[in-house]
Amino acid sequence: MNGRAGDGLLAEPAGHAAPIKNSALRFVLSGHVQGVGFRPFVYRLAQRHGVTGRVQNQLGQVEIIAVGRPETLQQFQDELISNAPPLSRPTIDTIEPVDDATFDQFEIAASSGEADARIFVPHDYFMCDDCREELHDPDDRRFRYPFINCTQCGPRYTLIESLPYDRPNTTMAGFPLCDACNREYLDPADRRFHAEPVACPSCGPQLAFHDGDKSATLLAEAALSAALEQLRDGHIVAVKGVGGYHLMCDARDRRAVDVLRERKHRPTKPLAVMFPLRGGDGLGSIRDYADVSDQEALLLSSPGRPIVLTTRKTRSDLADNIASGLDEIGAFLPYSPLHHLLLEEFAAPLVATSANISGEPVLTENPDVEDRLARVADAFLHHDRPIKRPADDPVFRRIAGAMRPLRVGRGCAPLELGLPWRQPQPLLAVGGHMKGTVALSWDDRVIVSPHIGEMDSPRSLMVFEQVAADLQRLYGVAAERVVCDAHAGYTTHRWARRQALPVETVWHHHAHASAAVAEHDAAGPWLVFTWDGVGLGEDQTLWGGEALLGKPGTWRRVCSLRPFWLPGGDRAGREPWRSAAALHWTSGRDWQHCPDHDGLARRAWHKRMNSPQTSAAGRLFDAAAALILGVHRTSFEAEGPMLLECLCQSPSEPLDLPVAKDAAGVWRSDWEPLLDVISDARCTRASRAGVLHATMAGIVLQQAQKVRDEHSFAHVALCGGVFQNRALTEQAVSLLQDDGFTVRLPEKLPCNDAALSFGQAVEIAARRSNG
Amino acid sequence: MEDDRISLAHGNGGRFMRELIEEVFARHLVDSDLDVLADAAPIALDGGDVMITTDGFTVQPLEFPGGDIGSLAVHGTTNDLAVAGARPLYLTLNAFIEEGLEIEVLDRIVASLAKAARDAGVKVKAGDTKVLRRGEGGGLYLATTGVGERLPGVQPSLHRIEDGDVAIISGSVGDHGTAVMLAREEFGLRGDVVSDAGPVMELTEALMQFDGLRFMRDPTRGGIASIANEIVRATGLGVRLEATIPVKDPVQSVCDMLGYDPYYLACEGRVFAVIAPDQVDAALAAWRGLPTGRDAARAGRISSATKRVVLETPLGGERFLEELEDDPLPRIC
Repeated sequence: MNGRAGDGLLAEPAGHAAPIKNSALRFVLSGHVQGVGFRPFVYRLAQRHGVTGRVQNQLGQVEIIAVGRPETLQQFQDELISNAPPLSRPTIDTIEPVDDATFDQFEIAASSGEADARIFVPHDYFMCDDCREELHDPDDRRFRYPFINCTQCGPRYTLIESLPYDRPNTTMAGFPLCDACNREYLDPADRRFHAEPVACPSCGPQLAFHDGDKSATLLAEAALSAALEQLRDGHIVAVKGVGGYHLMCDARDRRAVDVLRERKHRPTKPLAVMFPLRGGDGLGSIRDYADVSDQEALLLSSPGRPIVLTTRKTRSDLADNIASGLDEIGAFLPYSPLHHLLLEEFAAPLVATSANISGEPVLTENPDVEDRLARVADAFLHHDRPIKRPADDPVFRRIAGAMRPLRVGRGCAPLELGLPWRQPQPLLAVGGHMKGTVALSWDDRVIVSPHIGEMDSPRSLMVFEQVAADLQRLYGVAAERVVCDAHAGYTTHRWARRQALPVETVWHHHAHASAAVAEHDAAGPWLVFTWDGVGLGEDQTLWGGEALLGKPGTWRRVCSLRPFWLPGGDRAGREPWRSAAALHWTSGRDWQHCPDHDGLARRAWHKRMNSPQTSAAGRLFDAAAALILGVHRTSFEAEGPMLLECLCQSPSEPLDLPVAKDAAGVWRSDWEPLLDVISDARCTRASRAGVLHATMAGIVLQQAQKVRDEHSFAHVALCGGVFQNRALTEQAVSLLQDDGFTVRLPEKLPCNDAALSFGQAVEIAARRSNG
Repeated sequence: MEDDRISLAHGNGGRFMRELIEEVFARHLVDSDLDVLADAAPIALDGGDVMITTDGFTVQPLEFPGGDIGSLAVHGTTNDLAVAGARPLYLTLNAFIEEGLEIEVLDRIVASLAKAARDAGVKVKAGDTKVLRRGEGGGLYLATTGVGERLPGVQPSLHRIEDGDVAIISGSVGDHGTAVMLAREEFGLRGDVVSDAGPVMELTEALMQFDGLRFMRDPTRGGIASIANEIVRATGLGVRLEATIPVKDPVQSVCDMLGYDPYYLACEGRVFAVIAPDQVDAALAAWRGLPTGRDAARAGRISSATKRVVLETPLGGERFLEELEDDPLPRIC
């Protein structure tokens, strides 16, 4: 607080008989205070307490001048925080007395764009209960209007063009308000006072339905009915939502799901399912199909309405090809009014998968969707509210006692995290190559974008560039340097090099480790296990089974796995047989089931042609999937390991693997004894998968013990995509805790490559702070 | 000293050297009117623009399915003239022979070189041989300089390329690179993978009649992906390569097994051309009427939308084809 003690209010002599004078205070609040109905709340609060003055949105902050009796002002101040609207998270930065403040009443002043930026870009929210009531009220003028919203709900991030958050700065600028909406918008007592995307059937966006034959377009209710008819007939409809389109079809219709898979070239990857809202907590329909824990229920119903991986019930009419071979189902609730209307009428679960070309960001533009999904969707349910930038649905999974994100997106992005050190210069951290995100960092703040996609497609790069530019514009911060992964082949690395700004690189696993620890108390030292697919390591080999000791800016590799050589390089990511061959050939064995029938790959491998050295734990799980399940080729990353994890239903005895220091002093665990067990066809698949997970968790414990014998460190952290595996992670955490270690896992960001942008920003700040 | 192998004496200016030149080089190059006694040779050129190019050849192994270093030394240089819009006429030849090379191998290679020159209609007018000590050369290195005259018509050049132009390719890609790699690494012969090395003059001359012809290049080192990147750098436009680019099944299967991308592998007898969109069909028809152009196909288009090289995959996806790294490391898995 920078109030001037001794002035004004505090200088008022107490205890005299003089009439109690009104005082005036100036408050400056920041945090999530824009786009969440904060100003009308302040207005109503002031009315209730008889306080005069004004409230004003400034860039990223809210300024309040409040005039009233001191004890009234104290009450006003307390309630500013304690009674704040549910979506807001205000903090009071400043309280100071002001002189000569006289107001006849309390007013909401026009926004000012001049003050210093302490900006928070609001997220996209679900439809609130009040709006839902109106949606269903035949007497309401917004009855069944799919774009109903208020200050407490509706889209934000995906429609903001620039800040401050006012209607002309959103994609709603093209919809002039009708008189009725305008009255609500201007009435401080109305819950739509300054609800920037406010709209109604007469002035707002509307639906438009189009089928594949390019016949006449149907509008509004007729569009909704036509889309529902298509869905009921087992067809696939592309539906425009908040952050992009979904492809929808009947989740109980095996044939429809097959057609969707075939057309989308997505043979096996699990599909998300949206369930109708039903029952007191809204989860009635989901509970018909899945077992939902309390934690999961809370998250499913939260304003962000994310996809939550829930345990699928074995007996239900859900099509079994929604997530073949897996016991989980990605469930979520309707979040926009359009989704509510669709699901209510359909009255059964709908597949709702991002409408995109594999790995690319979700599509947002009407013509783009008709063009690129012409052969996928039978029909299109558009609307004319433009989506400024895509935001895919976020995904969470319960791992080791907490709900952890696997993907950040609509409703939780842009995600803000703090830095333990100040960033010396504003910087743009461009992340990795897979599961791309971009982060803007300045002062002690890092803003992480929603999930963008795999970075080797033009659309991903286009969205990446747009989001990188938008974040800088929205927050009013221009990056003065760029930080990227050290791998020169990453699209983002090449992009960074083309910018006219100084570029710094960060090793892939250093970024992982820094991201994981900076979410928590960053005081170290830490021992961080960074297990993933592959990333370039300091020795120019491909890391992915490493443990790093230290703290951001000073990581040192202390543990790894016995290295092996991957035939065919990049191809190993989708062809687990290559990892299985690598383990056999590296340990001097033949593999009789190897699909390299004429020995070409093995001869090339002997010459180390396109056969890089790696120590990636993710590749060990791939090898196991090939050997245990015969999964030689997959259509998405980690498909084999996910199937294996699902087989691990009961605890198994781990193998005791040899561990020894290599010439560089790095502890290396040798996977060779594991190879015997996972190749042993006399054992059941489940038992082999069980031993695999127990043994890999055992490696974590054993290596942590070895390091503890020589170094002291405060905590162990686990990060990298491999720890999305619940069976592995929970075993590793309990082994570590039972042995006296304290363990931390990422909670705010995914443990996978989506966290790299944040980790890169942390690394750079730490390097500067370490001198 | 073994009589059937090259010795240092073959390079000392004495009898051995004279005999080598007469019996190996001059005998095969008799059609070229090579005067082995003269210090310099006259060449006849009638007016017009004279074009000259030079290239060195170090391929391993020296002989591979579909060709050898000798034929390659002719095709490589004459094809460079051809894609620049010239008709090749004359070559010079430098041979750097490593001590120990079997004379029989050298003889086969020079015979192949001579045949390639005959077929290409070029004469080898001057030459030189040097012998390198054992261990200092890969058996045989060749260097050729080619002289030709510019054909009438357009002067194909990177700078003529415009937004909306179309790229075409005269046949399948990756054959040469795959054949040579299989032979070099002694992976066992695969009868179905054969180098495409050969002359491209008839292909280039067929296109020279089109006034919409913008640019031609023979996709050697780095393949068509590298040419496309060169176009992007030179023009500031983007190149979208399409799934219609022919890749032979056996080439694709070797690439799949070893994790290589055929778009980056060398061809030695193909032409990649950029042409105005309204002349594409006629140009392809002209190529398909030629024995070396039977499999000619559309390869992509020039687009200002994305100023990069983008490959459109058969499944509707798109991915960047970046400039080749020195040592490409896996990015994903």
